[in-house]
Amino acid sequence: MTSLGSSSSSATEYTVRVPKNTSKKYNIMAFNSGDRVNCSTWTQARMERDMSARRIYGEEETQEGAAGSEFGKKQREEARRKKFGIVTREFKVEDQPWILKVNGKAGKRFKGQKKGGVTENASYYIFTQCPDGAFEAFPVHGWYNFTPLAKHRTLTAEEAEEEWGRRNKVVNHFSIMLQRRFREQERGEDDEDEGEKSGKKKKKGGGRGGDLRIHDLEDDLEMSSDDSDSSMGDDGESKTKAKKPTGKGKGKKKRKSNEHEALEDSDDGDYEGLEVDYMSDESSSDDEPEKGKPSKGEDLPKGIDEASESEEESEEEKQNEEEAKEEEEEEEGKKTPVQVEKKKKKDSSGESDSSDDSDIEGETASALFMKKRTPPKRGGGRGSAGSSRTGSRPGTPSIDSASTSNTLRAAASKLEQGKRQPQPATDSPAAKRLKMEPSSQSPAPSGKSTPQPPSGKSTPSSSDVQLTEEAVRRYLIRKPMTTKDLLKKFQTKRTGLSSEQTVNVLAQILKRLNPERKNVNDKMHFYLTE
Amino acid sequence: MSDKTEVNLTGVKQSKGLWLVKVPKYLSQQWDKAREKGEVGKITIGKKQGKTEVRFSLNEELTALGAVGEMDASLQVPKDHPFTMHAVGGQTMAVFSQSDTDEISLEGTVVHRAECRPVVDDNYMKLKKLQIKESTKPQRLSQQLERAITTVFKPVANHDFNVEYEKKKKSEGKMVRAERQVVLDMLFSAFEKHQYYNIKDLVDITKQPVTYLKELMREIGTYNSKGAHKSTWELKPEYRHYQSAEEEEEMQTA
Repeated sequence: MTSLGSSSSSATEYTVRVPKNTSKKYNIMAFNSGDRVNCSTWTQARMERDMSARRIYGEEETQEGAAGSEFGKKQREEARRKKFGIVTREFKVEDQPWILKVNGKAGKRFKGQKKGGVTENASYYIFTQCPDGAFEAFPVHGWYNFTPLAKHRTLTAEEAEEEWGRRNKVVNHFSIMLQRRFREQERGEDDEDEGEKSGKKKKKGGGRGGDLRIHDLEDDLEMSSDDSDSSMGDDGESKTKAKKPTGKGKGKKKRKSNEHEALEDSDDGDYEGLEVDYMSDESSSDDEPEKGKPSKGEDLPKGIDEASESEEESEEEKQNEEEAKEEEEEEEGKKTPVQVEKKKKKDSSGESDSSDDSDIEGETASALFMKKRTPPKRGGGRGSAGSSRTGSRPGTPSIDSASTSNTLRAAASKLEQGKRQPQPATDSPAAKRLKMEPSSQSPAPSGKSTPQPPSGKSTPSSSDVQLTEEAVRRYLIRKPMTTKDLLKKFQTKRTGLSSEQTVNVLAQILKRLNPERKNVNDKMHFYLTE
Repeated sequence: MSDKTEVNLTGVKQSKGLWLVKVPKYLSQQWDKAREKGEVGKITIGKKQGKTEVRFSLNEELTALGAVGEMDASLQVPKDHPFTMHAVGGQTMAVFSQSDTDEISLEGTVVHRAECRPVVDDNYMKLKKLQIKESTKPQRLSQQLERAITTVFKPVANHDFNVEYEKKKKSEGKMVRAERQVVLDMLFSAFEKHQYYNIKDLVDITKQPVTYLKELMREIGTYNSKGAHKSTWELKPEYRHYQSAEEEEEMQTA
């Protein structure tokens, strides 16, 4: 090694040697930068060729002399292939990928695929510095790109296709892998591993393996809404996370909450779309605009919902929705954007099942958005509250209550208010009751400030339709209508009344008219015959 | 998938820093011509105004494009090659070597990447021109001939192949019907090996005339006209007793 000193630079010279007689073939093991592989942390490594492709190339040997074999079959097959020009590539061991196992059984696994075309136009050399200072250059024989292998269970292509088709129906995505494991267990494949893994997952899922057990879910429903509250906000993102099977500890919690969310969400979503909400929006415009964005968003879809609701909902459901609405209001603040969507999609859920396989997002409703029957427990639990509220129709529209802020406290106080003012329970059909109920609570807790001018509240402005007994009578004579239909006729914008007022007045009118009832399409219709 | 080789991790443990250098083809060709000792040139690492500069200069004797030892003045491979160095940039690259005995050892990790570039001068341009000319030459060439080729395909009275065939036929003679039982034995042993046979193959095996064979087969076997094993003969069910691995056929006397 000679060192040269020169004026502006200092240079050291080293000789380069290209050893001739190396028995070793050098290869490059390239990792992806994102994988953050640090070779110095490896304590132990094993590497072997991945020979799984051999059976594709090698002909399947039917046993000589076994039943079903033909004389000279091989030759015939070969001749046939040649005739058709089918050229099968030779199976070269050199080109097979490597399987690298680091740190034993619990460590990482990598698959190294050979990169082609490396030695075609330029040659790569590895320069190492020897102890004597000279460089030695070794030619690179091959280049392998090593990628980490997933250790968790993955779905096969067919299964993945299947699940994709069902993605809108399936609520709990974590269960997909569990069920797969169950299936495998039954088939008796690879038992210990499976059992371990499924056991782990079961523990983590907190008995989520009881996907097969329905009552599990119902148990969860009983859990306080607080639980779901905390994770409500993460609704969107947790769902995407759910799909990654790597979610373990986190996954567990989110899994649970997902289920709650899912069910409760859908329940709440159902109850949201009450016509009363729409009316209440009007009244709440008097309030300070509380939640600007989320509530605004809710107005429009609510309106749409209202329009389509008369076709769908039964009054029974309405009642249940009412009761659960209370709960929903509590959670309002945290999940309004989700609710917006839900309302939109609620009614389309029925029709959209057929378009399962379409990839268009947002059009088909997810199971989360589907209307679900209220679990009886909840209905029962709320029943008492509801009935107390039923009788709590305030004489005057509770404008004051409307002005309270959208908080749990507000809702609770509302309830109390309602209870404190017992009203003669009307013997009118449930519809009326429902209307009255939300009217008492809806204004404030819903906290929806509407962009509509507050003026409409005080005095009926000049409009086409007046909410009079005469008008109602006219309608009912013409054809049977549900309460919702009637309400639609007397839209708050036109009558100038607040939604609450409309409801009250309409109820009174109906009481006076005492129309006859008829059940059409499971809905209670009123009509008069005169 | 049978042999799992334990990877020797000593190289990586020592954290030997390796350089991955991309070298042009002609240069590597010259290096192949190096002598036994393997010295091909010198590397100069210097700091020029703060920047690290690496240059490689080829040994004098290797600059000739021709065989070693010749000083062919016509074309010379450039001598001077500055290296362009890059940092590895996040991507981990390790070097593993495989010996003849299939032992794998991890030599180290790459710390620098470099490209060996020649200094571009007239000489280099000429070299490149030569290379391009060679690479653009088509692999196959059409050549016009002046005179027709008369050495092949001469008319022949009887082709060699045919002559041989006839001789063989004559020597073997016509196929003679052997004893019935003997032939049956032969057939059964054949069917022990495979289930389905073509009549031609059976003729080949037993060396019996076709009609005789067919008669026998009609007795003990059936003909598949349809299905996967088309136009093949197989033994009748009562005669066969195929088991999974080996066969024990039960012969029933005719």
